[in-house]
Amino acid sequence: MERLSMNRSIAALAMAGALLASPALAAEGALVLYTSQPQTDAQATIDAFKAEHPEVEISFVRDGTPKIMAKLRAELAAGAPQADLLLIADAVTMEGLKRDDVLMAHEGADVSAYPEGLHDPAKFWFATKLITTGIVYNDAAPFVPASWEDLLKPEAKGLVAMPSPLSSGAALIHTVSLVSNLPEGWGYYEGLAANGALAEGGNGGVLKAVAGGEKLYGMIVDFMPIREKAKGAPVTFVFPEEGVSAVTEPVAILKTTKNPEAAKAFVDFLLSKKGQEMASAQGYLPADPSVAPPEGYPARDTIRILPFDPAAALAAEQDNRARFEAIFQK
Amino acid sequence: VIASLPARRGGGLGESRLWLGVLFAIVLILAVLPVARLLGQAAGGGALSLLLQPASLAAAWNSIESGVLSAALALLLGGGMAVLLGLSDLPQRRPIGILFVLSMLMAPQVTALAFTVMAGPASPLLNALGLAPAAGTPNPLIGKGGVILVLGLHHAPLVTILLLAGLKTIPHELVEAASLAGAGKAAILRWIVLPLMGPQLVAASLLAFVAAFGNFGIPALLGMPAGYLTLPTLIFRQLVGSGTGAIDQAAILSMAMAVLVLVPAAGAAAVLARSATRRGGDRPLQRFLGLGRWRMPALALAWTVVGIVLLLPLGALVASAIAPTYGARLTPSSATLAHFAEVLWRQDVTVRAFRNSFAFAGGAALVLALLALPLAHALDRASSRWRNLLLPLIELPYALPGIVLAIACILLFVKPLPLVGLTIYATPWIILFAYAARFLPVVLKAPMAAIAQLERAQEEAAAVDGAGLLARLRHVVLPAVWPAVAAGGLLAFLLAFNELTVSALLWTAGTETLGVVLFSLEEAGLVSEASAVALSATAVVALLVVAVDRLGDRLPEGTLPWRF
Repeated sequence: MERLSMNRSIAALAMAGALLASPALAAEGALVLYTSQPQTDAQATIDAFKAEHPEVEISFVRDGTPKIMAKLRAELAAGAPQADLLLIADAVTMEGLKRDDVLMAHEGADVSAYPEGLHDPAKFWFATKLITTGIVYNDAAPFVPASWEDLLKPEAKGLVAMPSPLSSGAALIHTVSLVSNLPEGWGYYEGLAANGALAEGGNGGVLKAVAGGEKLYGMIVDFMPIREKAKGAPVTFVFPEEGVSAVTEPVAILKTTKNPEAAKAFVDFLLSKKGQEMASAQGYLPADPSVAPPEGYPARDTIRILPFDPAAALAAEQDNRARFEAIFQK
Repeated sequence: VIASLPARRGGGLGESRLWLGVLFAIVLILAVLPVARLLGQAAGGGALSLLLQPASLAAAWNSIESGVLSAALALLLGGGMAVLLGLSDLPQRRPIGILFVLSMLMAPQVTALAFTVMAGPASPLLNALGLAPAAGTPNPLIGKGGVILVLGLHHAPLVTILLLAGLKTIPHELVEAASLAGAGKAAILRWIVLPLMGPQLVAASLLAFVAAFGNFGIPALLGMPAGYLTLPTLIFRQLVGSGTGAIDQAAILSMAMAVLVLVPAAGAAAVLARSATRRGGDRPLQRFLGLGRWRMPALALAWTVVGIVLLLPLGALVASAIAPTYGARLTPSSATLAHFAEVLWRQDVTVRAFRNSFAFAGGAALVLALLALPLAHALDRASSRWRNLLLPLIELPYALPGIVLAIACILLFVKPLPLVGLTIYATPWIILFAYAARFLPVVLKAPMAAIAQLERAQEEAAAVDGAGLLARLRHVVLPAVWPAVAAGGLLAFLLAFNELTVSALLWTAGTETLGVVLFSLEEAGLVSEASAVALSATAVVALLVVAVDRLGDRLPEGTLPWRF
């Protein structure tokens, strides 16, 4: 009897706890996704997942990769991580989390459709897309840019916007890719700063500035301008001749998840043909090469990706951010 | 029997000492505890070097600069409107006054969003008029100038409200006497009205500075994209950029903000308290300023002001919300309601944010309204020494910038509560607590004014008949002052519903507020969706204003800012 009433009071406490906790955590089989996808895409992604797994109650929190990571790290430090799943811009950040023993491996994931080297061989994280960073221009711009060097032209003075690595995970990879591949190295970014380029906020801010005509050129992730152009925005995306940088928007499960089976189902869904076709329908280049890319993209084998060393990038992450900040500080 | 009745002030505490103790404990927990915790952290951290970093100094300077310049603009514009609305025979004064004051009730982040979509080269409004800046022109409102301008426009009605209240205290006899002595209208304005309005002018400028200094929504949307950081946006950026690791620095900066803001806030309060005791003559000031042939130009000017602060920004928001996407041409055939469908039905986050904002604002308003009646009653009956001690403490969380209160709440709740071991950090309760602390003085104001006007005879008679305190509150006081309690609650709901600064630091998965999702959508470049959220939220605010206005005739004067 004693035991029973004890259990009952524990159950009552748990109920009270569930009521106290955020609504997202209330239902059984709940998952929280921390993502850097724009809200509309994140919603479409979880809607498609829910259609396949109606028993799982999944919700998401969205912010730029560095900010969502700061949120997660603060929660980890407080011993109360809210997220079960991460879907963020880049693999470098995932490698950092893997190193810090925060992630859970998903041994059973089926990656047979994917080329080797795309996912983590130890299966802690999995690439879901290919997101390249190139150049966007407003259709009223005086010239059509074809090369990264075009952004240094006097005609582009004061007219270039780009995301800051402090706000965007893709922008950090992009910065490292450019400085290690362009002949000027960091000198390229010093040139941009001297040409009055603005580096504040994330890719969304760049889209707003260029679509709004406040800036005429920008560095930006491919899907935003390609998708907005289809809706009638006066913007065009260019794959510069030197090549583009790329991130893979990897997904990973936190090892603190209370719902590993549902979390694995979410990963499996993103990696499935259906999940990849959804990514394509949203306007992203799918990670699975056998799934057709969406309208507005060139053939996949014509996209040239700048070589990039993730291990070196992870080691120099702080230095790279600091260097970028120093160049663009007024 | 009569001799034993409670005296008008001071006595009558006997039966309710315990009750008073409970009420004042609540005040201490809501108002004093967070601030004391912040003080402790800042004193313990002690790192003055954090405060003297170039980024902190630059942000402090930007805060002071934008605060002072925007207050000057607000004083100029708000003062001009006060003269037109309070002293002149301007036609259509009532609609102009109401719309002008309503512009202040739009959330600052909504105002900021509206001005950015209105002013840039992509502005649907300016494009329709052929006035849009050429492509490649920076948005004139992004950056320092825009922050100052929009802050000034947003706070001008605050100045007008204060000045209109002040004008009512000037005896009309003075104007008549000067007029008989041959003084012209301009001379009366310059030599009679202006000097007498000195205290209100000082207080209004100080309060406009305080409001601008603590504002987050406007510098976040207009300043941050250009790297123009004020103290609130700097603290925000550091905290979201490096998590609670930056909490020490945030605490120090918050303390600096508190000091910088409490001096002018206390100054304004002191000036207003002194001037409130000055007695007017038999007749309050009449509208002696006949506009004559300037009537029509003045009317056009007043409507232009209303257009700039309210109608054009709202129009720009509508255009941006129904455009196919930001930057695309808006034509009758391309207009779409898809963005409203997206944010009101399809997107869980925005739907949840509406629900959360209703729940947080409603919960805080309800709790505070329940608390307001006994608390206002107790404060009214308390000795003036207690009242003078407690009232400033209650005001504290509202006078402090929202970001300072948010930091204080994080410090207070990041560890589990002692004794009970519960943690409310990263739950909805921390936001509710912060709202309750912040908006307590807003709820309290109207019931306190109403109770002060109450005849005590009825209550004393009930006491003689043996009615206890609760029974008297329930059956004697409440029936007389319920409109004031309801209005206080609704005003707090309105402010909490519009709120961004506090929740921007306290939200977590599932507890996003409307302010947070608006800001987040805008940052993700989803300007049309952000505009749809902004308009929907503004519609709720407008409905609330109508609801509160219905109570207007039964309220003490000065409760509703848009009634004058």
